[in-house]
Amino acid sequence: MKRHKSVFAVLVVILLAVSPVVEAAKGNWKKGRIYYRMVCTDCHVNQAGGKISPAEKTKAEWAEYFEKNIHGPQDAPAKYAASYFVSKEYRESIKDTNRAAAKMLKIPDEQLLEDVKAFLNHTAKDSDQPSRCE
Amino acid sequence: MKLSYIQRIAGAVLGYCSLLLLMAAFSGTSYAVSTADHTRFKELQQDFKSGPEVTRACIKCHTEAAKQIHKTNHWTWEFLNPDNKQRLGKRNILNNFCITPQSNFAYCTACHIGYGWKDETFDFTSEESVDCLVCHDSTGTYSKPPGKAGHPKDTVDLKHVAQQVDKTSRDTCGACHFFGGGGNGVKHGDMDDSLAVPERELDVHMDAVGEDFTCATCHRHVEHDVAGSRYTPEAAHSEDYHIHRKQFEEENNAHCRACHGNKPHKKVDKSRLNNHAKKIACQTCHIPRIARGGVATRVTWDWSTAGKLDESGNPLQQRVDGNLVYHGKRGTFTYAANVEPEYIWFNGEVRYLLLNEKAVVNEDGYVPINDFGGSPDDGKSRIWPVKVFRGVQPYDPVMGTLVVPHTTGLNEDAYWKNFDWEKAITAGMLSAGQPFSGKVDFIKTQMSWPINHMVAPAEDAVGCDECHSKNGRLKDIEGIYIPSRDASVRLDTAGWFITLLTLVGVLMHGFGRIVSNLWSKR
Repeated sequence: MKRHKSVFAVLVVILLAVSPVVEAAKGNWKKGRIYYRMVCTDCHVNQAGGKISPAEKTKAEWAEYFEKNIHGPQDAPAKYAASYFVSKEYRESIKDTNRAAAKMLKIPDEQLLEDVKAFLNHTAKDSDQPSRCE
Repeated sequence: MKLSYIQRIAGAVLGYCSLLLLMAAFSGTSYAVSTADHTRFKELQQDFKSGPEVTRACIKCHTEAAKQIHKTNHWTWEFLNPDNKQRLGKRNILNNFCITPQSNFAYCTACHIGYGWKDETFDFTSEESVDCLVCHDSTGTYSKPPGKAGHPKDTVDLKHVAQQVDKTSRDTCGACHFFGGGGNGVKHGDMDDSLAVPERELDVHMDAVGEDFTCATCHRHVEHDVAGSRYTPEAAHSEDYHIHRKQFEEENNAHCRACHGNKPHKKVDKSRLNNHAKKIACQTCHIPRIARGGVATRVTWDWSTAGKLDESGNPLQQRVDGNLVYHGKRGTFTYAANVEPEYIWFNGEVRYLLLNEKAVVNEDGYVPINDFGGSPDDGKSRIWPVKVFRGVQPYDPVMGTLVVPHTTGLNEDAYWKNFDWEKAITAGMLSAGQPFSGKVDFIKTQMSWPINHMVAPAEDAVGCDECHSKNGRLKDIEGIYIPSRDASVRLDTAGWFITLLTLVGVLMHGFGRIVSNLWSKR
């Protein structure tokens, strides 16, 4: 019986490890692109010294960024976590000046975060971007 | 039946795995919004080795699709102008960007909706050679690199793309049309990848969080044949509203009046503005500038400077502000962003300079590769905005014709391999079946592109004083009297005379009233 329990525990651990892989594919990159360009980029251009191209980081670097979940300076309050800037609370705070935030107000925080992650994964430095003649 | 402990664990694990797979299949990776879930079609549940394999699966159900595609310009790259009988289309005309796909098909057909067009032997009747995915991909991962004759990149997961097909989108159309001329926004000026997610200010119709038009909203198709050809554009539309009306199904809806009608201005000073629409295209006022989305459009291309190599022997490349301004394979470029278009009278008639025709220099010193018809008096012209692209390209000074250079590829004749214009043009003209004297010179050319996209919101339209002024936007437009721009001695004299008479009349009337008032008091 003890042996069965340990087999079960190992399987559970494996399955839990596999789960995030499936989760990672949940986002809709097109919705994430709208939010990134119209909300994230809009703010960065107007208030933070310029836009940040998704191609400035590799997929792993973007994953690490979201893992650490720190958006601003290291010593910034918890409110400035990366996930805060896709939250309903944040969208609500800028909805009067940002049409995209207003339009996407009802999307659950977790879903929108996945959408943005999917977009960044899609266009990261090491993503498989379409080739051009140039 | 009693299950053992192991069996129960195995059952639980199996159930959990099934749940995960279902999540991935039905919600997790789905990009498409459709009434059909293509992941469930057995035909698409296989590891495809090539594009044609995918098409074979598609046409098992969509039995007429490939046959319909075969009849379209997107497939044939050929168009017979019904008015002047010129045989046009991408495979026949020249331009002053990459010049022509002729003798360069394997490279240029990265933007053909087919697989395998590498030379004249391509089978235009092959159904499996139709590329369904390039227009119906929703994953954004499908791409066709130059040099593979329209086949996709080896790294594309064809099964994944095939299972996620959807309607066309700004991304799928834009994969080629945003990148015309070899790069982002290079050719058109009113189309670049900023239109993939446009703000309202950039395009009031495509606004990604507003109307969210796709290309197909206006460029409607009938049996895969997409409306709105630049080979026979319509400059003036006399018919009123007709989009979504069945009887007009086969007409071109890719113009403003299809939705906005003949009297489009409903609010402010409507009769005056609606009168303007009789002589001015909607685009003239409502597309105040092009290349407004942050992507500069190329405005000149000089092939004569090509051929410089760096210290390692590779083609020299130089960039300024992120824009490629020199490439050893192609020459020198200049760019402009937020550009005011040029304006011409245009009646929809376009004549192209073809390979076998003499190149004639106009009064500005350029050979017009396309010539737009139009005049103020023909009753069918409007004042239109255009992007005029100017270049310097190789030509045959003995024959007096523009030429086909074989630029691409790695064979010894290719310019990008040997940097020898004579060899490259000899091979190109031979492939095109045209005579070549063996002499190469360069000549200045220009090409005009009608502007239709990046429609600004009404409040950002061109203001009255931008045209009604001495050096306004329409300063070079002849044949029409524009108040504040034009002066006629007779008209001005008559006007001032009438004004003077009016003033005298008013003064006399006033004087009479004062006198009569005083008189009555006495």
